[in-house]
Formats: sequence, C-alpha cells, structure tokens
Amino acid sequence: MTLPGLIALALLAWAVLRFAAGYGPRDPALRQLSAREYALVCAAADAAFPPGGVIPLSGTQARIPAHADRYLAALPPRNRLLIRLLFVLIEHATLIFPAPGWDGWRRFSALSLVQRMAVLEGWAHSRFLPRRLAFQGLRAVLTMGYFACPAVLRAMGLAPLAIETPVVAADLLYPPIGQPKSSIRFGVADLDRAVPRTPLDPRGPLQPGFEAPPA
Amino acid sequence: MSDPRTGSGEVRVFADYQRDFTEVADVVVVGSGPCGAVAAYELAAAGKRVVLLEEGPPFTPADFELEGSLSMARTMREGGLRFTMGTVMPTMQAIALGGGSLVNSAICNRCPDFRFQEWANEADLARTSRKDLEPHYDAIAAFLGIAPTPDAVQGPRNLLFRDGCKQLGYGSEPCPRNVRECRGSGECFTGCRARAKQSMDISYVPAAIQLGARVLTSVRAEELLSNGRRVTGVAGRVVAPFSGAPGPRFRVEAKAVVLAAGVLASPLLLQRSGNLANSSGQVGEQLQFHPGTSVLGVFPDPVDPIFGATQGYQCLHFLRDGFKLETLWAPPGVLAVRMPGMGHQFKQELLDLRFATVFDAIASCHRSRGRVRERGKSLQPSMRWSFHPDDAAILAHAVWVMAEIFFAAGARKIVPGVASHADEMHSIAEAESLRSRPPRARDMVCASTHVFGTARMHGDPRHGVVDEDLKAHDLDNLYVVDTSVFPLSPAVNPMFTGMALARRSALALAERV
Ligand SMILES: Cc1cc2nc3c(=O)[nH]c(=O)nc-3n(C[C@H](O)[C@H](O)[C@H](O)COP(=O)(O)OP(=O)(O)OC[C@H]3O[C@@H](n4cnc5c(N)ncnc54)[C@H](O)[C@@H]3O)c2cc1C
Ligand code: SF4
Repeated sequence: MTLPGLIALALLAWAVLRFAAGYGPRDPALRQLSAREYALVCAAADAAFPPGGVIPLSGTQARIPAHADRYLAALPPRNRLLIRLLFVLIEHATLIFPAPGWDGWRRFSALSLVQRMAVLEGWAHSRFLPRRLAFQGLRAVLTMGYFACPAVLRAMGLAPLAIETPVVAADLLYPPIGQPKSSIRFGVADLDRAVPRTPLDPRGPLQPGFEAPPA
Repeated sequence: MSDPRTGSGEVRVFADYQRDFTEVADVVVVGSGPCGAVAAYELAAAGKRVVLLEEGPPFTPADFELEGSLSMARTMREGGLRFTMGTVMPTMQAIALGGGSLVNSAICNRCPDFRFQEWANEADLARTSRKDLEPHYDAIAAFLGIAPTPDAVQGPRNLLFRDGCKQLGYGSEPCPRNVRECRGSGECFTGCRARAKQSMDISYVPAAIQLGARVLTSVRAEELLSNGRRVTGVAGRVVAPFSGAPGPRFRVEAKAVVLAAGVLASPLLLQRSGNLANSSGQVGEQLQFHPGTSVLGVFPDPVDPIFGATQGYQCLHFLRDGFKLETLWAPPGVLAVRMPGMGHQFKQELLDLRFATVFDAIASCHRSRGRVRERGKSLQPSMRWSFHPDDAAILAHAVWVMAEIFFAAGARKIVPGVASHADEMHSIAEAESLRSRPPRARDMVCASTHVFGTARMHGDPRHGVVDEDLKAHDLDNLYVVDTSVFPLSPAVNPMFTGMALARRSALALAERV
C-alpha cells in the first residue's frame, strides 16, 4: 500500500473509532435500545436535564432511557424506525457540526456534558428548519421521559391524584388487553360497590406509585 | 345500565379467534367510533342482526397509561405520530373500541344553524338544518347525559378563562360534555379512570350488545365485497393489539354495510375495494381539518392544574370569524414540550407549569383542502393538505385573542408558541406584536384532531359520495357514516354532529333493510 493510502486508512480507522466504536454494554433490562442508542439517550438526557438545579434529578436519574425503551417498544415498527433514525442523526451529526473545543469532533455520546449542551443549543437555534425540528423531536422524547418519573412530577406539583375506579357495566364484558375473557374479575355485585364520585381534592392523596417514599 | 351479558349479543376479543370464520348479519358496521357506535345501537334497537367490527381492542382502566407519549403510542394510529404532507401538521386518530371517544375530551356541541346553511349551499342539501337534526341531538344527549360541565369540577384553570372572557365582554360558557359525575381529573386524553366520561365503549357499545349486537374487536376490515349496485359484506383479518400482526381471516355477509371507519380510513377502504362509490371522483378528496393551536399562560399564584375538567370552558363568540376558543389540559409532559429553554433554564421554566393553564383555538378552514390515498398496501393514509394563508390568518387572530384573555385574567406571562415572535410575553403591550405582525402558517405550532370531508354528502350524485341519509349514491345498500361526510367544518367540535347524522342515517336504514 502507498503512503497516502496508509494515511487515508489510518484516518479512516481513527474516524471510525471516534464516531462508531467504544460503546459500553447495553442495559440488559432494556428491550429495544441498542448499546449505541442507550449511550445517546443517556448523554442527551443529562444534557437536556443536567443534575442539580430547581429540580435536582438529572435525566438519567429520572430514568429517561428506560422510558425511551418502553416508548420505542410501544410504537408501531415504522414510527419506531423514525425515532431510531433521529437517534442516529443526533449521535453522528457531530461529524458535520462538531462540538466546541479541540476534542469536539467525536460522536455526541462521547462528548463532555458542557459540549453536549452546546451541541444541543446549536440544534435548537439552527437557522436550518429540519435541524430545529430534529431537536424538537429529540427534546420531546426526553421531556416525556422526564415527566414519566414520579419524583419529577411531585417536585413540580403535577403528580396525578388518586382515583378509585368504579366498576361499570362494560367492565363485565372486556378483559385487559391480550387476555382471555375468563380473566375478567368483576361480577354484577361489583356494580353496586360504593366509590367516591365527588370532585377530587387537589390536596388529596396521590395515585399509588406516585407518592413520596417514606422518609 | 344493567348487566349487558344478559342480552343476546356478545363481544369477542383477540384471544377468542383461533381460525378463519364467517358471520351473517342484517347489517355490518365497520368502526366503533362515535358514529359507528350510535348506528350499531340504533340498528340493534330496531331489531336488526348487527355485527360491529373494530380494529382496536377494548381498553380497560388497567390498560390506561397516565404518561402522554406511552398513552398515545397505545391508543392512537401510527403511535400518535401521524402527520400531513404539504403543510406538515400532526393529526391524531384513535385505534380502540369506542374510536376517538375513548381519548377525546367529550365536548358535545351542536353545529350552529348558520353553518348548516353554508353546508346546504356548498352541497345542495335540502333537509340537513339544525332543526332537522335537533331530535337526533336530543336523543343522543339524553342517552349520554350530555350537560354543561359543572362549576364544582372546573377548577381554577378553567375559571380563569371564564374571568378573562368576562373582562373583555366575550361570551363564554361551560363546555357541554358526554360525562356523568366528572371528578375533574383532567385526564380525558389518556382515558377516564373515574369512568365518568361516557365514551362509546362504556355507553352505546354495551347497550348495543345488550340488544343483541355482536361486537368483534381486533378485526380489521380490508375489503368491501360487492356485486353490481349492491355490497354483500366485508372481508378482513384478525389483528393483534398494538403490533397489528395478522391472524385468521374473516368474512361477514350482510344485507347492508355501514362504513364508519373514520375520515382517513373509510375512503381508503372504498378505494381498495375497486374504487367503490366513486363515480363522482370525490372519494378521498376535500380533506379538511380544524387546525388548532394553543397558548400557555402563567399566573402569579399556583393554579394547581391537575384538578379541573380537561376542557371545561369555551367561547363561541368568534364562530362567525372562523374560530372557537376552549380551555385545555393534557398530560404535563406533552404540555412541557412547548416550554422554551434547555438545561437548568428549562427546569426553571417547568416549575411554572403549576401556575399555568392553556387555551386553544380551532379554526374553520374552508380554503385549506387536501386529499387522502392509501400508502402502499398498508391501509395507512398518505395525506396531502395545504394551509391556505387566509385560513392561517384566522388562527393568527385567535392567538391574539387568547393573549388578550390571558392578560385580562391576570396572567404574568404567556408562552404563545409562535416561532416568529418572542418565546415569552409579559404584558398585553408586549403581546401587541401578535396583532400588528400576525404569525404566518409556518410560524404557528398547529395540530388537528378534527377531520372531515373525504366522502362528502352532496345532493347531486355528480359532486358527492353519499346522499342526506348517508347512503352511497352509487350503491343501494352502502352507507358511509362518519365525519367524512361533512361537506365543510361544523364550526364547533364535530363528534356530536357526526353522531346526530349517524342516528338519522341508521333510522332510515332500519326502515329499508
Ligand atoms: C385527542 C382527541 C380529542 C378530541 N376531542 C374532541 C371533543 O372534545 N369533541 C369532539 O366533538 N371531537 C373531539 N375529537 C374528534 C372526535 O373524537 C372525532 O371527530 C370522532 O371520534 C369521529 O368519530 P368517527 O366515528 O367518525 O370516527 P373515529 O372515532 O375515528 O372511529 C373510527 C373507528 O373505526 C376503526 N377503524 C378504522 N379502520 C378500520 C378497519 N379497517 N376495520 C375496523 N375498524 C376500523 C377505528 O379504529 C376507530 O375506532 C377529538 C379527537 C381526538 C383524537
Ligand atoms: S376530567 Fe377526568 S373525571 Fe372528568 S371526564 Fe375527563 S377524565 Fe373523566
């Protein structure tokens, strides 16, 4: 191989290492996110929601990656693919729009927190509409994930109130989705069960699963 | 309602289908949304053997997701990520027993007479006035308990809208809704845990079952079968909930077919069934929306927005100007997406949500039309639609009026969500730019859940798909019974008018079959 060929090969190997390699293992509890996607979502989650501040939880502490995984699993295949393409775009667009600093020419998930925040600011305020839209799409996925965290909702005073669900006639007909009708657990007697039907009290108890853990 | 299992009808769910099957009925109804459910009930009440087909599953409270994106991914077609091309605008349609009624905010408005007159002029209609439909509106209102939202469940967020409108002399009123004993959880979009909303799956559908209807869920109609001027039934497949994975095949043979699959599915079924009922060339054309946009306002004191009916108050003052205003609440994560900023600044903004409420506007946009075609062989729509600049100006006017109402109600700032203007405005003087420099279509974040027009009703068979009984002009026993038959926007929320037309159509069909 000629010298220029060798240099080109070395550069290519270096670029591949910087942009497509070095991912840690994927979280085995996740069903959808690959190791690369997991790294990107974690990196973007903490850039959008850094630790500390008025709501102390960071994006990863609020378990945004777990939510993104559930969201991908719930989407139909075609739409899941669109979200995946969005992740690939953000992860590797630093090839074209590098982060500030001498070491800014790396994949998004390998950047420092400060660099990642700067990159996302660049997307947010780009003069190129598709770039802004891509940022909004990513931020929407992350924000929904942040709001799926009960502690975040509590910190904002927006956790859902407890509601005791009454049994109505239709509940005698339908099983939970995916189950046979034999799994319907209600009978006629349940229709008469007294359940509060008055307006909720905004200071009332929170929905189970959203309450603060005991001190 | 007493135990619906005591009647002669039944419901089948995905687990019930093991092999291919055939059913025989007097009438097969495709789609269990508000229009299909009313039609199925009325036909069953008239003693007809009814089979109601629904592609989505029944949702029980255990299946509801409180978080917005997961809820949409489960209850909405294309995971809630459907949008138009041309002018890019998200639009949402449900896939569930009960159709849109499972996830809508239950607003039930009657279409105003002036709009029915415009319908009559546009589409040569002779007996579709407010007076003609009044008995049908009344019957449905009695069945579903439609009533104005009581003050006790309005919560501060809805009442601030009332106060702002009052200050400015704009009439406002509690939204009439198909709800009984609302608890004010503001969760209509993710399914009513309080079982207060009378969505079709817990109202008309079980009542139809009690009267003998057979309701087959998780089945997708793929073709209307026909022979000359008559349809003979429907063929399709069982589909798994959420994944849509195909299962056994089925066929329903019937004396009449009621197509109520919704504005974006009914025309596709006609197109793929040999371009049925389309001698006018209007199937899939005239696609219209109520584009909607919203403004968020932040008040000095906490509003505690988690309490209050989802959409409790409305203003009909501007209907003749082309728009309607409402209050709005949605899962907080969905609302947060519009807040400006990143990082710590974004977190700071999010704390404002507890002090916030949202108003939205929907606009009648008669100049903005499009078309729908099938995307490949997927039964998914490919929509092309353009927002006409004059229609965008209507919505821009609405944004200014919402700003006015917020400041009249005492807001300390608003987040108008308009790309060409400041992220936040702190006074009516600052907001003045919304009036002096109205936003253009591309500046506003729009979405739409109200769709019409793709199988329009018209007195002249050369220009429309169905007649005033919603019978296809070209066929003797096919009815299209959903909001696709509206020739124009109904000026207000469409569900109630769709149901009233469906009831009239079903009563006419019951006489004939
Ligand atoms: C979030 C949201 C909020 C809204 N709020 C309001 C409101 O407050 N007030 C109001 O008036 N309107 C509201 N709307 C609009 C309203 O819900 C619709 O206008 C209404 O549901 C239309 O009824 P429909 O019967 O025509 O169609 P749909 O409700 O769309 O029902 C059609 C049904 O057919 C099924 N289907 C489709 N294709 C097939 C097939 N091939 N085989 C079998 N089944 C099929 C679908 O799964 C669906 O269940 C809202 C809509 C949404 C999405
Ligand atoms: S506001 Fe809450 S309780 Fe009232 S109808 Fe909607 S979801 Fe049900």
